[in-house]
Amino acid sequence: MSDDGPTFAYYRGDKPPRFVTATEKQAAEILDYYRVPWEYEPRTFILDVDEHGNILEAFTPDFYLPDLDLYIEVTQMKQSLVTAKNRKVRRLRERYPEIRVKLLYKHDFIQLAKKYDLSLPS
Amino acid sequence: MSARPPDPQPAPGRTPPPDRSLIGDVHLHSESIAARVAELGAEITADYQDSDLLLISVLKGAVFFMADLARTIEVPLEMDFMAISSYQQDHEDPARRGIRFIKDLERPVEGRDILVVEDIVDTGLTLHYILRTLTLRGPRSLEVCTLLDRPYRRIADVDVRYSGFTVPDDFFVGYGFDYRQLYRNLPHLAFLNI
Repeated sequence: MSDDGPTFAYYRGDKPPRFVTATEKQAAEILDYYRVPWEYEPRTFILDVDEHGNILEAFTPDFYLPDLDLYIEVTQMKQSLVTAKNRKVRRLRERYPEIRVKLLYKHDFIQLAKKYDLSLPS
Repeated sequence: MSARPPDPQPAPGRTPPPDRSLIGDVHLHSESIAARVAELGAEITADYQDSDLLLISVLKGAVFFMADLARTIEVPLEMDFMAISSYQQDHEDPARRGIRFIKDLERPVEGRDILVVEDIVDTGLTLHYILRTLTLRGPRSLEVCTLLDRPYRRIADVDVRYSGFTVPDDFFVGYGFDYRQLYRNLPHLAFLNI
């Protein structure tokens, strides 16, 4: 997805964020509107390694909000279809109990879209 | 059986009448709201003895709640109001992008006991901005009282000391809640049919 569009006043990062989905971009716009500093995919968490130390599974949440010390993963999928993401978030919490992470589902974005008159990506 | 007469058409230039079919079932009757507001008022009364209490309401949704709550609090208090820009108005205008006060407080905050009265706390992002801004003004204490709460939707981890009702993830009208600026004056809280 192109990263053309608004510049973000509250983005904390060296390079312009390259959003993968329109939902991520909308989330960034909402965070910026609320003047909440955010980083885009700043950290990858290793969830599983084999006996040689090779990474078998990792997870990179979409956003980190340094002021709130919170990672956010957004998804446009229905809550019932995000089993894999739910499992990753659960694994992250198990392996890194000090990390706060929240998964925003399609339903959350529909609510936000209604509240903010956003057009949701199809 | 005669046909139902057609609804009168609004005169040219006049706003059409509100669509009552948007108002759904009652979620909280006015009596339930009043009883809970009285409980919150009693709690606040007990907690704010010998204080310098200033209630701050965010326009416009919390106005009815603030008016009723204030009358159940039995300690001297002042009231003030602020208004916050709306995302819909601002997000197309890069020069004005970003939440901000469009009406600031008239009363001083420094050294006082501030109680922010909200209609609803949802993601907590608006409240986070308000609290962050008020903290910079040096209040002696800063707490939050909300009529409705959706703690399960929180993004910003804000501390809500007084909470009236935890509500489901639906839209509401009445008792200050609007749909396109209408229906705030309903005495109860109803689901919005959209």
